[in-house]
This record gives sequence, structure tokens and C-alpha cells, in this order.
Amino acid sequence: MDSNKKYWKGLEELNKTPEFVELNKHEFAEPIPIEEVLTGGGLEGKSPRRDFLKALGFGVGAVTLAACQKVPVHKSIPYLIKPEEVTPGIPNYYTSTYEGQAILVKTREGRPIKIEGHPNDIIAKGGASAQAQASVLDLYDVNRLKNPLKNGSDSGWAQVDDFVVRELLNIKASGKKIRIVSLTVSSPSTLGVIADFIKQFPAAKHINYDAVSYTGIIQANQNSFGKAVLPHYNFDKADIIVSFGADFLGTWISPEEFTRQYVSNRNNKSLESKKMSRHIQFESGMSLTGSNADVRIPVKPSEEGLALVALYNAISGSTLAGTKAIGNKVAENAITIAAKELVAAKGKALVVAGSNDVATQVLVNAINSLLGSYGTTIDLDNPSLQYAGNDAEFAELVSDMKSGQVDAVFFLNANPAYDYYSSKDFTDGLKKVGLRVSFASNADETSALCNIVAPNHHYLESWGDDNALSGYYTVLQPTINPVYDTRQAEQSLMKWSDIPAKDYYTYVRNNWDKNLLAKGGLSGQSGWETLLQTGFVKAAPVTAGSYTFSKDLNAVAQTIIDHSNLLAGDKTELQLYQTVAIRDGKRANNPWLQELPDPVSKVTWDNFAAMSPSDMKKKGLQDGDVVKIDANGYSIALPVLSQPGQAQGTISVAVGYGRTVVGPVGINVGKNAFPFHSLRNGTLQTSATATLTPTGENSPLAQTQTHHSIEGRNSIIKEASFTEYLKNPATGTGKGEGHKEYDKPDLFWQKYDRPAYDWVMAIDLNACTGCGACVVACSAENNVPVVGKDEVRRRREMHWIRIDRYYSFNDNGDGGVTREHEIAKLEDLDHVKVVYQPMLCQHCEHAPCETVCPVLATVHSSEGLNHMAYNRCVGTRYCANNCPYKVRRFNWFNYWNDSRFDNYLNNEHTQLVLNPDVTTRFRGVMEKCSMCIQRIQAGKLKAKIEKRPLKDGDIKMACQQTCSANAIVFGNVNDPESEVSKALKSERTYYVLEELNVKPGVGYQTKIRNISEQEA
Amino acid sequence: MASHSESIIREPLITGKNITYAQITNDVLRPVENMPGKAWWIGFSVASLGACLWVFAVSYTFWYGIGSWGLNKTVGWAWDITGFVWWVGIGHAGTLISAILLLFRQNWRNSINRSAEAMTIFAVICAATYVVSHMGRPWLAYWPLPLPNQFGSIWVNFNSPLVWDVFAISTYFSVSLVFWYTGLLPDLATIRDRATGIRRKIYSVLSFGWTGSVKTWQRFETVCLILAGISTPLVLSVHTIVSMDFATSLEPGWHTTIFPPYFVAGAIFSGFAMVQTLLLVTRKVLGLENYITMFHIEAMNKIILLTGSIVGVAYLTEFFIAYYSGGEYEQYTFLNRFIGPYWWAGCMMYGCNVLMTQLMWFKKIRTNIPISWVLSIVVNIGMWFERFVIIVTSLHRDFIPSSWVMFYPTWVDVSVFVGSIGLFFTMFLLFIRVLPSIAMAEVKLILKSSSEQAKKKLIDGGHLEPEQVEYYKESLTSFDSVDITDYQKR
Repeated sequence: MDSNKKYWKGLEELNKTPEFVELNKHEFAEPIPIEEVLTGGGLEGKSPRRDFLKALGFGVGAVTLAACQKVPVHKSIPYLIKPEEVTPGIPNYYTSTYEGQAILVKTREGRPIKIEGHPNDIIAKGGASAQAQASVLDLYDVNRLKNPLKNGSDSGWAQVDDFVVRELLNIKASGKKIRIVSLTVSSPSTLGVIADFIKQFPAAKHINYDAVSYTGIIQANQNSFGKAVLPHYNFDKADIIVSFGADFLGTWISPEEFTRQYVSNRNNKSLESKKMSRHIQFESGMSLTGSNADVRIPVKPSEEGLALVALYNAISGSTLAGTKAIGNKVAENAITIAAKELVAAKGKALVVAGSNDVATQVLVNAINSLLGSYGTTIDLDNPSLQYAGNDAEFAELVSDMKSGQVDAVFFLNANPAYDYYSSKDFTDGLKKVGLRVSFASNADETSALCNIVAPNHHYLESWGDDNALSGYYTVLQPTINPVYDTRQAEQSLMKWSDIPAKDYYTYVRNNWDKNLLAKGGLSGQSGWETLLQTGFVKAAPVTAGSYTFSKDLNAVAQTIIDHSNLLAGDKTELQLYQTVAIRDGKRANNPWLQELPDPVSKVTWDNFAAMSPSDMKKKGLQDGDVVKIDANGYSIALPVLSQPGQAQGTISVAVGYGRTVVGPVGINVGKNAFPFHSLRNGTLQTSATATLTPTGENSPLAQTQTHHSIEGRNSIIKEASFTEYLKNPATGTGKGEGHKEYDKPDLFWQKYDRPAYDWVMAIDLNACTGCGACVVACSAENNVPVVGKDEVRRRREMHWIRIDRYYSFNDNGDGGVTREHEIAKLEDLDHVKVVYQPMLCQHCEHAPCETVCPVLATVHSSEGLNHMAYNRCVGTRYCANNCPYKVRRFNWFNYWNDSRFDNYLNNEHTQLVLNPDVTTRFRGVMEKCSMCIQRIQAGKLKAKIEKRPLKDGDIKMACQQTCSANAIVFGNVNDPESEVSKALKSERTYYVLEELNVKPGVGYQTKIRNISEQEA
Repeated sequence: MASHSESIIREPLITGKNITYAQITNDVLRPVENMPGKAWWIGFSVASLGACLWVFAVSYTFWYGIGSWGLNKTVGWAWDITGFVWWVGIGHAGTLISAILLLFRQNWRNSINRSAEAMTIFAVICAATYVVSHMGRPWLAYWPLPLPNQFGSIWVNFNSPLVWDVFAISTYFSVSLVFWYTGLLPDLATIRDRATGIRRKIYSVLSFGWTGSVKTWQRFETVCLILAGISTPLVLSVHTIVSMDFATSLEPGWHTTIFPPYFVAGAIFSGFAMVQTLLLVTRKVLGLENYITMFHIEAMNKIILLTGSIVGVAYLTEFFIAYYSGGEYEQYTFLNRFIGPYWWAGCMMYGCNVLMTQLMWFKKIRTNIPISWVLSIVVNIGMWFERFVIIVTSLHRDFIPSSWVMFYPTWVDVSVFVGSIGLFFTMFLLFIRVLPSIAMAEVKLILKSSSEQAKKKLIDGGHLEPEQVEYYKESLTSFDSVDITDYQKR
């Protein structure tokens, strides 16, 4: 069926109007304005076509250009062929040695990132100093020398070797002297290389040169007993310790070891067995050791010797010729008491002195001999080999150099141009030496004067060994390939003296195979492999003999008194010391150490003149006022600091600052105080008389703590005397004193289950010495930024753990004046008691920070920890305001990528030291102690993989691990058998600011002082 | 409103002899309809320089981080939150005047409510900028809002007073804005009706097609009353919640239950002082003496006296409670305000807010324009120090003495604050040029009943008690806009 239907579309079509017919002839009924568009009409419209195209073109171009900005490319290459022993994400630990102490080096993907104490190390038993912790950062120091230098310009090893060998042969022919100057070398293999070198060049001699010297003790032992050794002290065997200026917990000989020993008689375990050692300290400046003493008597350097004479007289019951009164009533009384107590503890007593004066040390030997200390608290037969420097030998070298007898000198870890007291004599002499070789791995003051710098490896790149205590041999193994074109100093010496071993590694191997492995009952390849795993061998110790002093003391006493007369007078007496952080200044370019607050003064990034508050008042000085100090013909200008406990009429100045040739971190930080030393009777003296002239300037010190008293707040610090403790171990904690019990069911806080773990911490205030190693360990573990002097001045240091230090003053014997306005009225600010309190996030059960965060960036975990989610933090800082412990730290700037913070991690190379398990924090977020959450997770994971429950002690916090005093215990309080549960059950336990009901997770144990009632 | 006569013993709310509705419109719209004068230009230049400083300082902070301020590990808030609370507090007078006084039928508010409300809005804007700029990561400023998101189950912390603050401030700002704008509608229509060209178009859009019919007026009044009802609790709630930013914390000096009423009183106190500061100048410069009269000035001074005294009682209570509680930290904190290193800030706070305002008991001082103006500035300074003392002096020495610090502001701190004042005045000066600074329609309502000329007519009518007339005349002597000789002739 077809249809003829025709549909029409409009009346025009139906009617077939002429217009319609006309229009319908074309394809398009209405004309298309092509012509118009193409001929310019279109260009005049509102949005002309060309403009549109222009805009389009420009837009696309602009976007393209904007997109062309270089996106940072991070090269991350996976292991194509995975080394068998490296699993990404799993750390490897290697044994090694830091300054004679066995350590573990934690490496991740082939780079060392953390130093940890070796649990079996006999020195610190797992502890490590702040220096050891910080040493890993030096490896990544971009300012290390990257290749050998010849006459100050880059060179190659071949050229250097040629030059040195040629020169050495010439010198050998001429017969002039060759000297190797080093920091005390205790490594058997290094000593072997040096000996072999000397064999090759008989005109050569090795001189141990210690910037801070112990020649006095060594010489005194030679004089007294015919043994030129640095004895091994046993502070753990001493019931009473009397120290005259020896900072044995901070800087003296082997502080980590001594700390461990010392604390073993004072910690909770010892107290529970009703035992506590007693410690009396006589000193000028407030040292870390003095601040821990039960009784501390400030004496001037000039009075120190007199006090020793008085002590000898009191103990021996005789009177040495020329004895004169100390002229310090308090000290005289204290000497009488000390003498009585020492005699009563015969055989368990120890007297030490920090002086480097031979006569003083001879007298100390005599006293110790009377007390029967030899063979018990002092061991001369298993001596310490940590220091062997001889001041006279080096002085002789300087004069030899000046007279042109020396034609070659090698510097190994020695920097006399900076730290020799008379550096001008030294540099003048050095100019006359033909071949001057430095093995410095960072440019230093001495290497700047050398014609050859043959940069040494960092110790983490080196093979080697060490022998810090006799019989204790540790091995040094590299944990990374040399980063730069450096060469181990021993290798260089071998190369230059044609020692027939392939390389230094072979030399070390041979030495161990031949001499050392057998001492630990090991042998052969398997013995060597065992050694590399255990880290050390320990030969059986020689039985310590007892020695009796039998020399005449009258001449000795006369020398001491003469010395005292030399210092005494109207002038200010200057005492030199090392700070716990910087020590002799070798690590001045290490930002972790520079930012580690001095334990006592809490000053960072500077040295200063410590002065007694009453002297400051007399002189009208304020903290930070710069004074010019003139002594021994040298002068520097330093800011003063009011130091309670500083002996009146004295100032103390730290050495180790004022480096002039060092990296950008350490340069011009503080002033060099080494030139204040003087050489007397063959040893370097650390005291002098000085005149002070105020310059009128003020240079504020960067202190991390500026309020120093506790204001009577005994819910923060609780302390008691040992006698009180014996009567009631809970004395001072407030327990059983009718206080309200805070453990009531809570109205506002829900109780949550802690099904598996409840992580807590216990800190023993009687064990903590305040050294600050934990601060550096924490920074290394948790990538805590360094902010620099200026920011510390603004009170913005980032440390997650800090050591609070409080002074309290005696007022007519009633002790414990701690309030600002009362202190202001006191006359006597010399007799001061100090307490240290490590403070970190308390991981409160009822955390005040958690309730106030608007975005839930800080929350509680089911394991009792207070977490911080950096990514969620918007930075209102309310949590920090509401934290009663003030432990939260805010990222004020982007410390990782801000050119103003160049002194730390603002470069890709140094960033390799970062712990990859811990994220770095961006500007504007809050951070704080996480209880090393990464360690907890790793520990749990490990236990899970090994299909076993987590054991107590599997997980250690970074701060806990490095603490030589074992003051910090961490663990699971759900486990009643865990060490921390036991520690917290101690009667001494209290919680800081308990009454706020925040329920902190960190318990503290009271500070106990071994003081008699009348001293309290 | 009421066309019946008001009691003669009440002081007039509008002075001047031949004030007509048209006269009111002419007077009020003079600045809107004419080119600005020299004084305005000078003020505007200074204010906008300040605003530029603000832009620079805030940009600097955003670029480098909060570290460019003087804050530190112990003092986490200082000039930022001081400024924030100060500005929020200032805002409160506007709401009080527009809402509570409306509900209480205090007709004298009609002359000042417009400016006061505008001030509220600008002050809250200034405060809100601090909320954002004090954050460590301001680009995430929206995170404290409970927005659905793709981060997983992340929500805000409803326990945190800062979240309450977000709600409080945003509610406050939006309600104030709506209320203010609703009130503006009849006045905008007036401008529209008198304007030509593009101005007419703009104002006609802005006036939402106001017709002026009886129905429109009736609805207008109803909406105003409803909004007043909504705003009234806000006067109390906003600063209560701001005070909880402090009161819910553990910090000694913050952890205080008296904070809510104390902060509200303080807010009204500072708000009225700011209104006084602004209007004393505005009425002179814009020639509005007949509408903002001595009665208004004195009334506001009385409120300042009242709220200042409440604040004083709160201060004493705090000290008493600190003593009575036996809490050693709290006791120290309050002692520290006087004997600590920031004693001068404490003296500024107590001196300016309590001692100086007690001068207002004297009528001579209340009715003296220069002294009133100076005192209003003193109160503003004092209230800034109050917040500074509460925040910085409490924080800088709290529980653990090792962390005690001093706070030193940097140039950025100062610039952000000074700049925010510049921003505020820039907005205020623009406001008086484009919108009527007095609610014309509302002033016209009271012309027939409460103006000087209406009262004069009553006196001329002669049916009044002579004592009352004498009392009335007596009260007029303090008016600077009344020619008292007019009355003495008779």
C-alpha cells in the first residue's frame, strides 16, 4: 500500500508562496554568512574570531609554559640485584668501636644512621655518650674534605704519595727528625703501623698529644709507684667519693664508665638494699659531677691544693711542712668531715682530683694510699689506655721545630694550631718544617698550615681496632663504603713507609690473628668472624695489686702551696673546663652537639664566663654582658653567666669553642680558651689569674632554660635525704600523708581497656646524672631538627626530651630555698643543690592535649600512648598551651627546606642520616615524643614473625638505650613481671603534677641525697 | 510607632529645631550622596595604609611560617589570640544594641544601632582573619569544619572548644550580617529613590525591591523582631564559647568557671567603648549631632560603667578564688600578674578597665565629650591588655618552671595587629560613604514623640508640671547640640 500523502511543514509550503519557492531552490533556505565571516565583518563582532584564537593560543601557551617548570626528580633506584644481607626496611647492625668503646652501628639500606651502645661493652654496658650518638652525623658532613690537598689545592692520591715519599726519603737522608703527632692512640694496629713506620724512618717518633691532658696523673703514678699509667678507677667499689675538681661524670677520662659505676651505688636497686654511696665534691665551677654530689663545696683553684693538703693532714694525723689554712671556713669544716668519713670507709674510699699538676696528683696518690684504695677502688695493674699524652714531649717538639731540627710532621686527629696553649710558638715552629702532613678529615686550623692534607676516613668507613682499657680489645669495621675520595691514615702511613701488607685491613687481620684473637680464646677465620659479631675480646684481668705510697711529701706540699700562692690574690681566678657537649672542640662542626644544652648552664651554641651571682652583683654585671678576660697574656671577650655555686672570685671558661677553621656550623661559635693554659713543671695547667674588663656590650646567651628554681613546687620534684629514706622509703612522694587519692572513678573520662600492652616509663631521678646523651640519641632516632642559636634564643629548640635542671639554695642550713623572691634576698648563693629531671611527653591517660585539638590530630592509642598525626595537624598550638609539662614542640619554620637553617639538614647528602622509619615534619605542625613508636612497632612485628610473645626488654627507647646510668626504664605495665612494672612499684615512685589527674604514663622516682640532717 | 506624647522628663533623642523627615534623610545621606571631604580622605588614606600593612604582614606570615611571630615553645598564643578575642569582644556591642535593646524597646538605640552593627561585622571579620592566620597550616583552615570528606572516617573533635568556636563565630557572623542587612532595606530604598543612573540601579538591587507598603513595613518589623530574638542568645553565647577556649583548659589563669559571664561583660564593655570611640568622631565629622546626642553618649557611658564594674568584680572574684582554692599554681599565676615580669601589663589591665572607668560615676565626666572619647580609648587599650594578660601572662609561667619564658613580639606580630585596625577602619570608612550610618527609618519613628521639637511643643502647650519642665531644661544643659538660650528666654 503506497501512500501519496505529502506532509507539509508550513502554510508557505502548502500554499507554495513565491518566496518559499524561491528560497527552497537552495540547499540552505537561509544564506549562510560565510562571506561576511571571511571578509572582515566577523572580525568586528563582539568576540572576533581572531581574538578568540589569540586568547586560545595564549592560554594554551601559558599553561604549557607553566607546566614546564621542572619537577624535582628524586632518583630512587631499586636493588636490581639485591645484596643478600640487605632487605629494604630492615636495619642491619654491625659491631664497631667508638673511642675504645664497643658500639653497634645501625644501618639501613647500606647507610649508617644510628650509633647504639653495645650491650656487652664493658665500659658503658650498652650506654653511649652524646658524642658517640652524634658521631654518625659527622659522616654525612658535606664539609668533609673530599679529596687530598696539596698546598691547599685539590690533588690526587698519586701526586700526594709521590711527593710525601720523595720528601721522606730526602729527610731520611738528611737525618732530620720526623714526628707523628696524634691524639692518644690506643689502637694496637695503629700503634703497630706507627711502630713499623718508625722502623722504616728511625728519625721518627710518635708523640701523643691530648688537647686536654692527663699527664699530671700519669707522671704522678710514675713518681709515686714507678708506673706511668692512667689508673682504672672503680667508682662502684667506693662507698665514699671525694673529688677535687674531677668532673668524672661529665668529661673526666671515661665519663660513661664512671657514670655506670657511680650510679650502681645510688640507683633504686642500691637504695632498696639500703645502700647509697656518698659523694663530696670540691670545685670552682659547677660541673656535672659537682651538681650530682651530695655535698658540694665551692673552692677557688688556689684553695684546691690547700684543701688537699688539709685532707692529707687530717687523714694522716700529721702536718706537712708549710701547711697553711685554706682560708675558707666552709671548706675547712667539710675537709674535717670528709676526712672522718674517708677514714671510716677505708678500702672503700676514693679520692680523685681533676688537676693536671703532678704534685697535686702525687698528694692524691698519698691520700689514696692511706685509705687503702689501691687494689680496690683504684687499679694500677689494669690501667686505662684512653689518655697517654705527654705535655713535655709536645713542648719539646715545639722547641725542636723552632730550632729547625724537625723536617716532617704528621698530624693524626691532632689540631695543635687550635688547641695548643701557645699556638703562636707552634705555628712559628711549623713554618720551619718542610713536610707537614695532616690526616684531618675536615679542614682544621692545623691542616690549613700543612702542605699535604691526606684526609682520613670517618671511623664508620674504617677498619681498625682499639684498646681503651688494658685487656679490652675492640674491633672497628666499616659500615659504608668511603663516601669521598679519602684514605685511612694508617693506609697512608703504610704506603709511605713501604710496609709489606696489601692494605690496612690485612694489617689489622694479621695483627689480630697473631696477637689479639688468642687473648679472647679465638683463632683463625672463624675467630675473626666471631669477633666481628661480638665486637671485642676481653683478656683475663691481672689481679689488681695494692700499692703503698712511701715518698716524702714535704717538697710536694711546698710545690702545691707555691702554686696556690701564685694564683691567690686580688685577681679573679680563672678555671678552664670542658663542656659535656663539645669537650675539646674536635666535633665543633656537629650541630647536634652544638644544640645540646650544657647540663648545668643549659647554654647552647656558645661558651661563656661563669661567674658567681654575688660577684656579678658586685661588678654590676647582667647575664650576657660581655667582659674582656685577660690571663697569661691572652685575652678574649665573652658573655658572662650568673652561675650559682661558682666559687666567689673565680670564673670558669670552657675550652673547645672559637674554632676558626671548621665547617659552617662550628665556625666562630664562642671563643677559644685553650691559650689560657700554661705549662708549669712539665704539665699544662688549667687555672690562671685573670683580669676582667666589662666591654659594655651584651650578647644574650642561647639557653634552653632561663628559670632555674622550682618555686617550691614539690609535686614536680620530690626529694628526700638518705636518712629519711631509710626510715620511710616513700618519704617525699606524698604517699600516706593524708593526700587525696586521685584514683577515683572519673566523671569525665571513660576508662578504656589496654588489652595487650600499656606502655609506660619509669625514670629514676637518683640515677639520672643529667648528661644529656638521651637528648642527642632522641634527635638522631626521631629526626628532630636543629634550629640554631638564634632560634634557641627565641626559645624554640625542638628537643623531644629535655633535662630540666633546678637549683635550690641553703638558707642558714634549712635548705631548699626555691622561690624566686626569696632567692633574691639570699646572701649566700654558693651552696646550691641541683636536681635533674628528664622531661618528655608523659603520655597521659587523660591527656589534656587530646581534648582540645579541633581536628583530632592527637589521639590516644589502645596501648596507652598519645599519638600525634602530623598529617592531620593544622597547627592551632592549643595542645601545646594545654600541656602542663610543656613538652610539645611546634615547627615554626620549614626546617628542612629553608635556607636560613643551613647549619643542619638543608642538603640532600646530610639528609641521608635521617631515620627512614620516622617521617620528617613540615612547617606548621606540632610534634613531640612518640615513645619511639617505630621501635615499638618493629619490636612487635619481630615477635610476630618469630611467632613468640613480645619479651620485656625487646623494645628499648632511644633515650633509654643510650643512658649509661640506666635511669630510664620502658616497658609494658600490663606485664607485672616487666622491669618497668617493678620499677613503678617502688616506694619512691611519684608522678609529676599528679594532682591534675592527667594520669601520666611516666613515673619518676624521688631524688635521694646522702646528706646528714645538719647538712640538709 | 507611638504617636502619643512622651513624658517631658525624658531627655530628647533627637535635637534641633526644624527636623523633618526630609531633614533627617538629608542629614543622614549627606555623606552618601556627596563627594567625601578632606577629613575622610585623610582617614581613609591612613586606614588603607594600615590595611596594606596587614596584607603584607599576613602574607609574610603565610610565606615563612608562624615562626615570624614572637611565639615560642611555651607561649603558643600571644598577639594572635589576644587580637582575636579583642575583636570578637568589640563586636558584641553591636549585637547587644541591635537585638537586646530592640527587645527592651530602648528607642535611643535607633540612632546608633546601624553603625554599631556595621562595627560588629567588621570586627568579626578582623577576628576571623586571626583564626585563619594563627594556624600553622592556614591552607587547611577548613579542616575544623565537620565537612564530609574523602580522608576516611576523619571527623572533627566535638570536645574541642576550638570547634565550638568555629560554630560560634560563623553563626554570629551570619546572623549579624542578615540582621544588619535586613535593617538596611528601608534605608537602601530611600537612597534608591533619591538616586539616579547607575547608583539607582545598584541601590535598587540592594534594596530587594522595597516598596514601602504597609505590608512590607509590617513584615519588616516582624522579621526584625525574630532576628532580634535569634541574636539575643548569641550576645551571650559567642563570648561564652570564646571564653571556653580558655576555661576548658588546664592552664592556671584560664581554668576558671567565672570566665563566661566575665568575658561577656568584658565584651560588651569593650564593644561600647569602641562604639563610643567611633561615634564621637562620626557625629562630629558627619554633622550628626542632632541624632547622636548627649543622651546617647551618656547612656553608653553608663553601660561602660556598669559592665566595667562587672568586669572589676570578676577580677576580684578571680583573685579571691585563687586565694580560696589553695591551688598553688593558680595562686602563683594571679600573683604573677602583679609581681611577675609582666606586671606592667597587669597594671594596664586593672588600671584601664577598673580604675579609669570608675570615673564615669561623675556626670561631668560622662557628659564631657573629649574625656569620654579618651576614656573609650583607654577602655579599648585596657581590654586588649586584659586578653594579653590572660593569654601571655598565664602561659609564660605555668606549671613547670624550667619552661618559663618571656614573650617578645616581632614586627610581624605588631604589624598584623596594627594592620587589622587599619583593615577595620578601611571597612568602616567605606561603610559610611556608601550606606547610611544612622538608621533613618528608625530615627524617623521617634521624631514625633521623642525629639526636642516635639517636647518643646509640649512645653509651649503649657499643660505640664513646671517642676518637670524645669527638670527637663536642666537636663538639656549638658547637650552640646541644644541651644539652651532658647529655653531661658521664656
